[in-house]
Amino acid sequence: MTRAHEMKNRIIPYQMLYEAISGTHSLVENILPDHGIPSLRMGLKHIKSVINDFILKEKEGLPVIGHHFAFPTEFLYAFDCVPVCVEATSYLLSALLPDGSEPYYDLITNWGHPFHTCSSQKGTMGMTLDDLFQFDAIITPTAPCDNTYASYPFFRYHKKIPVITPDLPFLKEDKSYPYLGEQIKLGLEELGRVIGQEPDYDKLRKAIEIENQVFSIQMEIFELKKALPCPVENMFNAMAAAASIYLSGRPEKITFYEEMLSVAKQRYTLKEHHGGEEKIRSIWPYMIIFFDLALCEWLDRELGMSILFDIFNYNFAEPIDTTSDLETMLYGMAIKTMEAPMVKQSAEFYYSFIDECVQLAKEFSADCYVFTSHIGCKQFGSVPQILREALRDEVGIPMLLIDLDVGDKRMTSGKIIKDKIKLFAQTLL
Amino acid sequence: MNLKDDPFLNISNSITNPYIEDWQALNKKIIGYYCTYIPEELLHAAGILPYRIRATGNKDTELADTYMVRFTCSFVRATLDLALKGAYNFMDGFLICNSCDHSRRMFELFDLKVFNKENIDKKIDRFYLSIPHIITEEGFNWYLKEIEELREELESAYNCEISGEKLNHSIDIYIQNRDLLRDLHKLQIQEFPKITGTEALQISMANASVPKEIANKELKRILKDLKKKEEMDVSSKKRVIVVGSVVDNIDFIQLIENSGAFVASDFICFGTRNFHDSMDFDHGANPLKSLTKRLYYRISCPRMMDDHENRLNFLKAEIKHANIDGVILQRINNCDLHGCDNMLFTHELKELEIPVLNIDRESYQANNTRLQTRIEAFIEMIK
Repeated sequence: MTRAHEMKNRIIPYQMLYEAISGTHSLVENILPDHGIPSLRMGLKHIKSVINDFILKEKEGLPVIGHHFAFPTEFLYAFDCVPVCVEATSYLLSALLPDGSEPYYDLITNWGHPFHTCSSQKGTMGMTLDDLFQFDAIITPTAPCDNTYASYPFFRYHKKIPVITPDLPFLKEDKSYPYLGEQIKLGLEELGRVIGQEPDYDKLRKAIEIENQVFSIQMEIFELKKALPCPVENMFNAMAAAASIYLSGRPEKITFYEEMLSVAKQRYTLKEHHGGEEKIRSIWPYMIIFFDLALCEWLDRELGMSILFDIFNYNFAEPIDTTSDLETMLYGMAIKTMEAPMVKQSAEFYYSFIDECVQLAKEFSADCYVFTSHIGCKQFGSVPQILREALRDEVGIPMLLIDLDVGDKRMTSGKIIKDKIKLFAQTLL
Repeated sequence: MNLKDDPFLNISNSITNPYIEDWQALNKKIIGYYCTYIPEELLHAAGILPYRIRATGNKDTELADTYMVRFTCSFVRATLDLALKGAYNFMDGFLICNSCDHSRRMFELFDLKVFNKENIDKKIDRFYLSIPHIITEEGFNWYLKEIEELREELESAYNCEISGEKLNHSIDIYIQNRDLLRDLHKLQIQEFPKITGTEALQISMANASVPKEIANKELKRILKDLKKKEEMDVSSKKRVIVVGSVVDNIDFIQLIENSGAFVASDFICFGTRNFHDSMDFDHGANPLKSLTKRLYYRISCPRMMDDHENRLNFLKAEIKHANIDGVILQRINNCDLHGCDNMLFTHELKELEIPVLNIDRESYQANNTRLQTRIEAFIEMIK
């Protein structure tokens, strides 16, 4: 007798994603010159391969587990499963599909979901409402924002999907890490009961060790960005954000970062800038725009503006100790979770975020900051002006603030964003 | 008697009041807070007046808009605006918790922009409470630990001892306070009520702005006076329940009651959510634990992401209990928590076949006409 999961595709959006990535990758390979946007070429190649692997595993009947990006993907490799990051899926589709994720935002909004919530969750919620995703379970920490507490109950109470919620405390105190470590352990055990598997901590350890290896390469690339001109193209920020989810805990991630490091080193030696000439060095302390990845390239080539890094590319957790006992590893996993991009800034007062931004501006010789104020992120809604004042007073550089939805072009279009940045750039030059 | 002119109810119309002045004349401290998840009884036991921050009467957010982007809650922005104008300078400290993304960031803004040395020349104490977002045994222990630490911080900041005896005494006063509010609520939900929804909100707001001993005295007086008051005939009106974001301005409830409805109950944090629990409260032996238990396990707000079912059950029970004809789900724009909770309620209440109106609004509604039209249409729609 054929089992239900063998008849139905439970991850249709991954099929869509695979086709979108394949199409884009093929264009990149066939149209761009050999040296054109290497991060895009490499990133798409590896992500395509991993998504294909997920599709095959789903066909084998492995459980489909949704997770928040604040619950690192590699933690799910304690199980044989198909991980689906709720937020990354919305945004990768937003970047690659001709209509973005908008049809799915509309589905869930028409169902009553408030327009001002985060589109990163709205997309996958819309897909799940339409049964394009059929999750066996979902796991999310109680972080980093109201959208998480508000949106995930939809999966639990309307779609009746088991949602496991390790509690992530606000504020980083001594007691926070053992508490969260225990919560992660309890969460993994509960998840195991739901999907009928025991957490395999040896497998988990191996996935974490891959991440530990990636860390040192990430730091080398990060250091190279201090050079003038910046030897890493803007598109790397987008691809690294995607890699941090889809390639997490997998050997492909090491390869991706090694390849990118090699390119960066070569450019560093030759003092080359991807766009020809670096005129402005910008830091985007929050997110880049996902619905229009071409903006990265436009900034490099048209304005000579480097995005040294965005929020997904300057927050690195220290490697986790895997050589000791399970408790030690869980403690390290808790630290990593609390240091994850956006969680790090949300699980504490924003003083250290401001200090870090000031420090980064100095260390990386930034000319300006560009703050994308995303409609979903209320936890950052009180930060921009304080940051602007600190950058002005302590570094003497300006900050551009753009209100937008990073995953939905209908709120602030790509054209308007470009115009704003162009005008801002003119004042800098 | 006419509650309209009652001096206690009128406390709700302004930020400060004569009781605050009397309190400070005795050189006693006041701590401002936003959320009902903070342990008021603990502050009370330390001899501090817990004052619930609100934005009543503030019609603009001009100053606060500099520091908070337009996607943030207009209620919190309006409170910051008032604070920047000095309206909260009477406070000696503030206690913020991670209730929602809007209010939790008031810690930094109050710290940096409201109570910095340039603005105010007295010592302002800053306290923070980290509260779990799920309801579990581990979460309870975390919350209890946080409250124990807060107790130590208060003792150190104010050079006092918060003994078990003092705590038990404070808890008793607060139990009495909630009992009195529940007695008043009974007079609101009965078939021929003695107080309106507008008056109930005024009482609740005033109650959060004065010392509880005074509040209890006033609530008893009002209850006594109400005994003599004639019951209202509201049979021609539709009985509604107001659910959702904080309401700290009587204009909104008045608008509903002027549109052909009677607000028979509510599910908001200035209302039933703050006093409706009737938890067994054997607090003698370990008062801090009992206090935490009540705060943690009572009817939750949507910040608790695993408790929607209990909120739904409470709402269904209250609909039945107060004989409700229609449900008004409302949220302040950009309130993700109530927006999503209301979304689920909208679908779940279909099984009761009860009319539901889902509205979004601003904290201060400059243009009431459109809102009134929607509410009137809804009331007419109810059979």
